[in-house]
Amino acid sequence: MQIYAGIDAGSRTIKIVLMDAEGRVAASSLRDQGVEVVALAEELLDGLLGRAGLERSDLGRVVATGYARNAITSADTTITEITCHAAGVLRQTPQARTIVEIGGQDSKVIHLDDSGHVRDFAMNDRCAAGTGRFLEVVADKLEVPLNALGELAGGSTSPSAISSMCVVFAETEIIGLLAAGEQRANIVAGVQHAITSRVAAMIGPNARGPIIFTGGVAMVPGMDRALADSLGAEIQIADEPQMTGAMGAAILAAETP
Amino acid sequence: MNDTPAQITLDQWDERYDQLRSAGLVEPSYGGPLRRHLADGDTRLAHLRYDNSPAALRLWNFLLTEEDRLRDARAAGAKIVGAMKDLGTVAVMACSMDNVVAFYPDGAWWIPCMMELGAGLLNIADSLGFDESFCPVRAMLGAFVTGEHFPRPDLLTCSVGATCDDFSAIAQRIEAMGEKIVWWEAPHRRRPDRGETPVELPGGFVAPQCQVDFVRGELQRVADALADLTGAKLDSHMLAAGIEAANRVRAVLRELRQLAYTAEPCPMGALEMLIAEMLAIHFCSDRTESIAVLDGLLDEVKRRVDAGLGVARPGAARIFWINPVADLRVMNLLEECGGRICGTEYLFPHAIDKIPTDIEPMEALARMALADPMIGPSAGRAARICDDISKFGAQAAVISRISGASHCAMEGTVIADRIRKNLGVPVLEIETPPLSDSMRPTLKTRLEALVEIVKRQKG
Repeated sequence: MQIYAGIDAGSRTIKIVLMDAEGRVAASSLRDQGVEVVALAEELLDGLLGRAGLERSDLGRVVATGYARNAITSADTTITEITCHAAGVLRQTPQARTIVEIGGQDSKVIHLDDSGHVRDFAMNDRCAAGTGRFLEVVADKLEVPLNALGELAGGSTSPSAISSMCVVFAETEIIGLLAAGEQRANIVAGVQHAITSRVAAMIGPNARGPIIFTGGVAMVPGMDRALADSLGAEIQIADEPQMTGAMGAAILAAETP
Repeated sequence: MNDTPAQITLDQWDERYDQLRSAGLVEPSYGGPLRRHLADGDTRLAHLRYDNSPAALRLWNFLLTEEDRLRDARAAGAKIVGAMKDLGTVAVMACSMDNVVAFYPDGAWWIPCMMELGAGLLNIADSLGFDESFCPVRAMLGAFVTGEHFPRPDLLTCSVGATCDDFSAIAQRIEAMGEKIVWWEAPHRRRPDRGETPVELPGGFVAPQCQVDFVRGELQRVADALADLTGAKLDSHMLAAGIEAANRVRAVLRELRQLAYTAEPCPMGALEMLIAEMLAIHFCSDRTESIAVLDGLLDEVKRRVDAGLGVARPGAARIFWINPVADLRVMNLLEECGGRICGTEYLFPHAIDKIPTDIEPMEALARMALADPMIGPSAGRAARICDDISKFGAQAAVISRISGASHCAMEGTVIADRIRKNLGVPVLEIETPPLSDSMRPTLKTRLEALVEIVKRQKG
């Protein structure tokens, strides 16, 4: 059986999707990123192949994406996250016209044309204020597990206004809010809105729908609502949003002659 | 001798240079191996990739010996004029006079890149109150303090008014340190009101005659200062001859750009073309040699086009580049990512346009000065860029924002919106510091993504 692999070597996690020639997902997995990017990716790939009863010799083309894509030695080629996320989303939602991807260290807005081709994109990768890293900082400061932030934000009655455009200064604001007795739920909700406001500014006023929300941050409860509020538009969360890039890479691996 | 075009490293240039010398390479007085400039502290050279032609070697050697040329001119008794900000006007006037050479101290903005911050110019600027919130041209301030990168000019001019606020602030600081500056004002170009006489400017712009008259008066003040400096009056005949010589440089450059940016495969790399375009502004203080250098480059490009040879990968994405990069290495990166340059707007398209020769010379220069894209509405600059993108057949555009430059704060967005709306081509906005190595992965992702978009659209 010919198998195609997509490896998304992201800043926070490594994701791999194995796909057969008919485009069916044969297996997928992810693990936290570390210093030994190559070893981690190869280990994850071998483990995934093993669990699926496959061997390296079953592998056809391997496409790597993500910030560490160029380090993945088993990849036949590399393709950027922008193209891979678009391919992954389009497989699920062919009518998608805007993709918002918020990852651990960056965020992206991808505009698609009527044919589903990437028309344009914008990236924020120099400031943590529009990324998942902001949530991590807040979780740490509020002593709340990252995966519990969404539930906490759900109890917000009045999201705090986080005005700083920089995570470092926002952290100072949060300390001030806590000292003033502000509820943690309102602070978390305020941070969620601060992140999505940054992303909304990247999208601009004329985003075409459907708007698909993907990337690891899409899994944090409440972020979809915050993004919809900031955009003033409906959004859909992609299936398995963390895996979209790897899925797209696998699709492109299978499609490439 | 292998004449196949290639982009090579500095190490490879060592070997290539020896081969060329053995094959009888004839060099100008400033010739020599590229590596010798490392000894001057230009360490960035070790990280760039260069065109392997003798014409490119001559171009680089010409660029990197500017300081020597200026000091030699001083020693020979020539007067040195430092023209700041106007990008292509005062240099034409100065070079029209006997025994005068001109240069742009603004060019110091590349020193932090070329010396990989080794000269400490930005630190000096920081200490004088011009931190990273200002344009990298603040390196010029450091250069004036150290006096190590160009000789102190005998006359210093600076255009002000509808120009970059940063630049004016930096130049004011230079004046406060004791340098006398002849300021001349460039008004914000506007369309004529009803009843005003319209004047067509190069580049397709229009301005009222009263603005042209005003600039002409300002330039006359500069001419008077030049007369005071040299003891000779800059008359119309001298200026006409100077304009004719400047037009020769511009004509070669226009032909070079047309060929290099449209031929397939790409006959000359982005880096050499960037340097070549810069000669339009200041001639590297030797107009005659500047023409010879550009002629050599043009001949090489013609040879390659005729032979169907190039340096970029076949089918490379055709990119229009807006604004010069603070880090020259980024131009190499574009090509590594599968792109090639098809048209540029490095802030001085007016310095490549032909200066009118059918009108009085000072009037012609005033019109040229008013055609500077930076002193008019951003929409006007954007419109010209859109025209050029179409003319060169570019498939995408990169706007290289200049960090801290006040004229760029919103201009990038205005230009990007216009390109997207009018042409429907993808636009990438990036911002690079003088040394972008730490940002290389993210820059690479963005440029690669742009190339992927173009290729998927083509496919």
